[in-house]
Amino acid sequence: MKILFHGRLAELIAPELALPAQGGCSVAELRQRLASDYPQAGETLANLRSRAVVGTAVVGEDHRVGSGDRLEFLSPVSGG
Amino acid sequence: MSVVTRLEERRLDPQAELGELLACAGGDGAAVSFVGIARPQSGTGQAVDELVLDHHPVLTARSLQEIAVDAAERFDVSHVRVVHRCGRVAAGQPIVFAGTTSLHRRAAFEAADFLMDRLKTDAVFWKRETGESGSAWIEPTEADLADRGRWE
Repeated sequence: MKILFHGRLAELIAPELALPAQGGCSVAELRQRLASDYPQAGETLANLRSRAVVGTAVVGEDHRVGSGDRLEFLSPVSGG
Repeated sequence: MSVVTRLEERRLDPQAELGELLACAGGDGAAVSFVGIARPQSGTGQAVDELVLDHHPVLTARSLQEIAVDAAERFDVSHVRVVHRCGRVAAGQPIVFAGTTSLHRRAAFEAADFLMDRLKTDAVFWKRETGESGSAWIEPTEADLADRGRWE
């Protein structure tokens, strides 16, 4: 699974991350796993203003992602 | 009616943008424009050399367009033009141009006000201030959120 991060999360984790395939999981479960692996990003990941995006669509916490998927996490936006 | 939005990676020329707006405002009686400028000081008084606006390759431009279309649909305006910088913007340089035209002035004023309140909170940017004291992420202030709330 490929994950791209934008904003503060890119600084706290990495701009891009490849997670080894471990079957499917929900966005909520992925947040928890990332927060465990990268505790410095836990607070930002727990903030639901950090949105998950697949393609160009924002997806909900129940959305399932698999090993071949590409997901993006957007940190809370700053506005212009 | 027209809605024009653009994400600008290089220099933003507010006078040129206003000229473009006025060029299509032939039958209107009012034009309102706003120019946002990168401030040389942070909210806590630290010197700021530049702003860095990270953006998303698709969603940022889409957010500008959605905000501009919302303004055009909500107010009785003829033209809406939004140009927003991304990347590195030195203190003192323009960061955003928001312009509107309408038959009568009130709609143009209100639409420009609405545009800026929405852009300040909803536009998909991740903004950092950099200066002598390092780099700091910026998020909408309580005042920004309250201003946006006026339109709900």
